[in-house]
Amino acid sequence: MAKALASSNRQQTMNNTPPRASASPSTLHPQPSTALMRRLERLELVTRKVFRGRMKGERRSSRKGQSVEFADFRNYTPGDDLRFIDWNLYARLDRLFLKLFLEEEDLHFYTLIDASGSMGFGQPSKLDYAKQLAAALGFIGLVRADRVKIETLGTAAQANPTFRGRQNAWRMFDYLDAIRPTETTSLATGIKNFCLRNSGRGVVVLITDLMDKQGYQAALRYLLSGRQDVYVIQTLSSEELQPELQGDLRLVDCEDADEAEITVSAPLLKRYQQTLNAFVDEAREFCTRRGMSYVLVDNQLPVETLVADYLRRRGLVR
Amino acid sequence: MLPNWINMLSWWQWAVLAAIPPAIVALYFLKLKRTPLEVPSTYLWHKSIEDLHVNSIWQRLRKNLLLFLQLLLIGLVMLAVLRPSWQSGSLSGDRFIFLIDHSASMSATDVQPSRLAEAKRQVLALVDRMKSGDRAMVISFAETAQVVQEFTDNRRQLRERVESIRPAHGTTSLAPALRLAAGLANPGSTATDATDIQVAEALPAELMIFSDGRFGPVDGFALGNLRPTYVPIGDPQATNLAITAFSTRRQETGQRQVYGQLQNDGPKPVAAEVELYVDGQLDNADAVEIAPGEAEGLIFPLPEMSDGVVRLNLSTSDALALDNQAYATVNQARRGQVLVVTPGNEALRLALRTTAASQVADVELVEPAYLESEAYQAQATAGHLDLIIFDQCAPQETMPAANTLLLGRLPGERWGEVRKKSTPGIIDVDRAHPLLQLVDLTNIDIAESMVLAPPAGSTTLVESDAGPLVAIGPRDGFEDLVVGFEIYGQSDTGERYVNTNWPLRASFPTFVLGVLQYFCGQAEFDAIRSVKPGQPVRLTGVAEAKRLEVVGPDGARDRVSRGKNHRFTFTATGQIGVYTVYHGPQITERFAVNLFDRTESNLATRPEQAIQIGYVEVAGKTDWEPTRRETWKLLVLLALGVLVLEWYIYNRRVYI
Repeated sequence: MAKALASSNRQQTMNNTPPRASASPSTLHPQPSTALMRRLERLELVTRKVFRGRMKGERRSSRKGQSVEFADFRNYTPGDDLRFIDWNLYARLDRLFLKLFLEEEDLHFYTLIDASGSMGFGQPSKLDYAKQLAAALGFIGLVRADRVKIETLGTAAQANPTFRGRQNAWRMFDYLDAIRPTETTSLATGIKNFCLRNSGRGVVVLITDLMDKQGYQAALRYLLSGRQDVYVIQTLSSEELQPELQGDLRLVDCEDADEAEITVSAPLLKRYQQTLNAFVDEAREFCTRRGMSYVLVDNQLPVETLVADYLRRRGLVR
Repeated sequence: MLPNWINMLSWWQWAVLAAIPPAIVALYFLKLKRTPLEVPSTYLWHKSIEDLHVNSIWQRLRKNLLLFLQLLLIGLVMLAVLRPSWQSGSLSGDRFIFLIDHSASMSATDVQPSRLAEAKRQVLALVDRMKSGDRAMVISFAETAQVVQEFTDNRRQLRERVESIRPAHGTTSLAPALRLAAGLANPGSTATDATDIQVAEALPAELMIFSDGRFGPVDGFALGNLRPTYVPIGDPQATNLAITAFSTRRQETGQRQVYGQLQNDGPKPVAAEVELYVDGQLDNADAVEIAPGEAEGLIFPLPEMSDGVVRLNLSTSDALALDNQAYATVNQARRGQVLVVTPGNEALRLALRTTAASQVADVELVEPAYLESEAYQAQATAGHLDLIIFDQCAPQETMPAANTLLLGRLPGERWGEVRKKSTPGIIDVDRAHPLLQLVDLTNIDIAESMVLAPPAGSTTLVESDAGPLVAIGPRDGFEDLVVGFEIYGQSDTGERYVNTNWPLRASFPTFVLGVLQYFCGQAEFDAIRSVKPGQPVRLTGVAEAKRLEVVGPDGARDRVSRGKNHRFTFTATGQIGVYTVYHGPQITERFAVNLFDRTESNLATRPEQAIQIGYVEVAGKTDWEPTRRETWKLLVLLALGVLVLEWYIYNRRVYI
């Protein structure tokens, strides 16, 4: 119902047909290029925290389990799996010991994409950019047998597939491709729902523009509570970073149809830049203080550079 | 100085124009129509606007600045449409000829300090208004015209030259000045000569005449390229009492008298005291009161004096001081010098010896052989003989430097072929001529006479049925009186015979006296002569003098040499007063220069009256109005500047 209402709202805005600040004529397929994929294959997702996975993976887990890597012995207690009893020790010491192995587990890699209307701006649109980024990061995860889960803020609880294994890359790309910037869920609600749905710990990459009038702080705090390794990638279009506007304008917010009447002038543009810088600095500060990684990206920055350079430096990939 | 306005629009156009400013203001009161634009988020914009609301007054002012600029723009356009202009400003035209009258009447002080000073002040003011590159020429004129300054764009030089103009005492004559000016503005072109190439380009010029207009119309002058402007100088209500005539005259009784005439041309009656000074001593005085427009004569007896200066002084404070004094000179009475060359003529001798004739001239009788002597040559060339009478003999090849009377002979070849006529009958006598006044020739008989063919310029005095018998003709400043018949003829055999019975008539001695008075009367007239300023004076001099010295009223000394006619002619009579002629240390004569010009003395200018130059009537310009200095171009430029500024502020987001 809410979605229908939002979409009708949307229709109204569209009927007024205000020209868009920058149109995004076609959504790019989020699939990375072959060359990029080849580069991505050599990378792996890193987490600064060691988490428990659900399935065996290529990642060392705190959980002891079946692997080739020996960890420790412990006394046998009734009910233990007889397969892990060290029979050689039993022969020598006539006591039952269990061999404990380090379990290699998979990583929960969540990508949370803000698919609100504001993400549909830019050339390429911020959402397309977000999808490309998500595809690249997801591909790395898939190659390394991590559990890759991509969600949008407005995703219904049941429709959130988890991808695992390289063979699922195409499925993931198609899934990403279907995402449209039509959601109206606020940042806080979306993240809250996400956290409720996904209790598993892991790496969360939030790709958003943080342009939420109710503020992003509460939303990010939800992520913190889940003790997850959080990366906030704020994606802004160059139109937002360096607006090239002229004249007397009535700016219409594409999400809530809020209007702002401005007369573009040098002081106003200067003031906008100051506000933007303050906003970005505040977000960075907020994230850094709470152990989240914050990256501001311009939609003009190639995804390849972002992943192979920026995020590598940030320690998300290795 | 208030600007002049010229309304360029009709009332409805004004209504449209006047509606624009309220329209602009109204547009500003309307809500600005903003272009809608969809943006990702107005979040940051709202924050920015909130910040800017602190400076909202500046924002409003910025909007209003555009309004002000637009109102200013339309205001400037309206002002430009009104075409405001200032009266000051440069002159129209680029070539000017300033004609400055410096005649006697321009010395009048009815405008302070004087009319000439006022004219100079006005000319200097115009010189100051000349644009850079304008050229001007200054001509001063009184009786004659002088180029004070050739065409130049050097304003400093123009000023200096204008300042250098001094008042003259002469009469006014515009024509020479116009001819001078026209010579530069209208180069001559001869339409009849096809090969004549006009070398100088005809250059139009503004002709500005600064004068009191005391001159008559200038006839026969075409202005051509000259654009005349007449600036009358002077107060039309100026009062002036003038001496318009003053002379001494000997009565029949031998008593000398002084005649004077006073003229009041002012609008009010004038009372004045008249004082007569003889050689600087007050001799007589009188009080007169003269009604406006009236003239009054004065007669004073003059004590017997051989020579001296008589001065008439008007003690009145009127505008023109030059004509409040008049001078007359009494020179030593000089008798005419007459040489009679005759082999013997009793009738002529008797006629020259009458009482009246001997009062007029000293007569010397010589034989024709005297003509060969050196003494005669000296006399003939000296030029101080008033008359030579040739009886029964002819002058030599060269005529003497004197007037001549020839009886039955001709003065050279100029008089043309003559034929003899026996017993001519006199049919006409020019009795209006001073030579034949009171001469009755009806009852004389002539046996034989030449029929004269006088040269051009001659006057036939006696006409017979065959042609002229007596005629007088000019020759180089002298006159030859030719009587075609002799009194005593000589036959081919040498016998003398009487040719006419004229000597028996009373008309003969009358005629001889008339001849003496005509030719020698100048000497008597010279004794009391007076000339107008600028007119040449013939000085009598003395026989042996080669050079005379003339001392003017201001003490200036001029040397005069004998001219072409062996005469002394003095021309520098610009100053009013008494001139004394010296030969060495000896005073030979005096003469007076007086204004005696009613036109000059009449100071009443008539500003409404135009001056006539040829067929063009040039109206007086009392209210001098130089060209308008238009400002609409400046205003339009200013409006354009405001427009550009507005555009800049609107487009470049100028922060204020």
